[in-house]
Amino acid sequence: MNKDFHYFATYCAAQLAGYSHQESLDICYSAQFVDMCSRTLLATIKGPAAAATTQLQLELMSARTDVIGLQDITRIWSSFHFLPRDLYATRRLCTKMYLNKYRLICGPNGRLLSDTVELAAGKNLQAIGLAMHVLADTWAHRFFAGTPSLVINNTTQYFFEIMPDGSERKVRFRHSPSAPDDLDEGIYSSSIYQYGENSIMNLGHGRAGHLPDYGFARYKYMPAWAAYDEVIKDNPSDYLHAFAQMIYALKYLRGEVDVFETERYDFEAMEPYRERIESIILRRQADASADWQAFGESLSGQEIEDFDVGKYQPEYMDADEKHKDDTFLGRFILAALAQKSMVTNRIFKSGNLTAGFSVDFRENGLAGIRDFARLVSSMNLTGEEEDDQV
Amino acid sequence: MTRFNRIKEITIGVLGILLSIVMIADTEFGYLTVTVLLSVMLIVYGLKCLAFYVTMARCMVGGQQMLYIGVIVLDLGLFTLTMLDVPKAYVMLYLLLGNAFTGLVSVLRGLEARRMSGAHWRVKLIQGIFFILVSVTCGIFVRSANILVYVFCAQLIYTSVMRIISASRQTAIVYVQ
Repeated sequence: MNKDFHYFATYCAAQLAGYSHQESLDICYSAQFVDMCSRTLLATIKGPAAAATTQLQLELMSARTDVIGLQDITRIWSSFHFLPRDLYATRRLCTKMYLNKYRLICGPNGRLLSDTVELAAGKNLQAIGLAMHVLADTWAHRFFAGTPSLVINNTTQYFFEIMPDGSERKVRFRHSPSAPDDLDEGIYSSSIYQYGENSIMNLGHGRAGHLPDYGFARYKYMPAWAAYDEVIKDNPSDYLHAFAQMIYALKYLRGEVDVFETERYDFEAMEPYRERIESIILRRQADASADWQAFGESLSGQEIEDFDVGKYQPEYMDADEKHKDDTFLGRFILAALAQKSMVTNRIFKSGNLTAGFSVDFRENGLAGIRDFARLVSSMNLTGEEEDDQV
Repeated sequence: MTRFNRIKEITIGVLGILLSIVMIADTEFGYLTVTVLLSVMLIVYGLKCLAFYVTMARCMVGGQQMLYIGVIVLDLGLFTLTMLDVPKAYVMLYLLLGNAFTGLVSVLRGLEARRMSGAHWRVKLIQGIFFILVSVTCGIFVRSANILVYVFCAQLIYTSVMRIISASRQTAIVYVQ
């Protein structure tokens, strides 16, 4: 998903869930900021590197793919963009090594989604926005894993786009990252084929290009993991479900619903606007921002400013060390650390070391990356307890 | 990283440094070791491909390709092992091309990082220039066994040190409830 959904559509969902204009803006800003918070940005604002929620293409090109490097990549992409659906999935006649990758395949309505939404409950709008990004991506990025893996993420020549009239057109991929996708001709940019299992080219949906990020796209293909079965990805349906599930989750986070359950969607709230929403999703365009923005503005009657990545940076940089966590980006950083900590823990607990080790603070103290000390102190675990454990 | 992996990485790193020192001290032995190591690296890579096929790629659509690659590379490694007495110029040419490519890629990444206001563009650029200079040195001393061994050992020491540093890093994620 791109800015159109993570920023403008998230604003619309927040509006339909009952948040005010300003609250909706903060939520959607945080949702979109997940795609911006790279180590390069964090270095610029002098924030903790461990809070990175994405990696720039440039960072990925320089990333090491040894064990440590792979764990770092997996933590970022699995925690924020490719939330694993089932960490205990099984498949016959496959080794544990294979299953460790197979179990990281992203999908909606998994146990980790409940954990993500519940983690944001009772917290600030930044944590809520971050959770909405993760939720929405479970729909767009389903069938791909947030770790470099040829055996999971590779695609074959068998890749067809299903056109609105039901006809099929073979998708042509080119490997030029700077070239825009040609939607009319069906030519899309994708990462180049590399037969190394851990090549960075095999991360996420790189091999399928931006197709998962387009709401209008319907396509069928043969994923590397699917044992020669054809898989049909219906983005319009998935995006509609993502939107309805966001409204339901946001209502839960506002306290309107007592329990968050998977497989539940608030289609009722979007019913009066369903036709308009569907038309935005189905329109064949690379960026639906203008349509979602107009829809959002019609909902709130307020102007929705465009996303500005630098909007809250001066506030964070100018704050003294003691008050950094009280700034907008400070709260976002804490939410990111909490999410990464939780997802890594769940993956580790399932016996899968692909995302690395997770050490429980209550048992082992800060025996890990020091950046997490910030999260510890924000949760009031400071004082004697922390001193004892450190 | 598990404790076993940490110990393994540090041991390989230390062995790499020790081997480099021995090779630099005795360049005749060093040259022979370079040629053997290059062949052994191919053999190991071929075996890794075969292991990858057995453990993972056989569950993947089109995974047989890994089986073919493994067999071909393993065969190539065994073949090169039987012809260790190749002229030094060929081995040097191999190092020259490898370093030139690595250097060029690093320079391009450095320049791109600079365009995007990346934090470490200078490091990448300097790394790239260094590798290109090494490549030029290989070109100038194309028939020198000593230079060949020095260049190979410098790379081996660098890789070994990086392994040790990597294995010593604190990388666990703290879980806070």
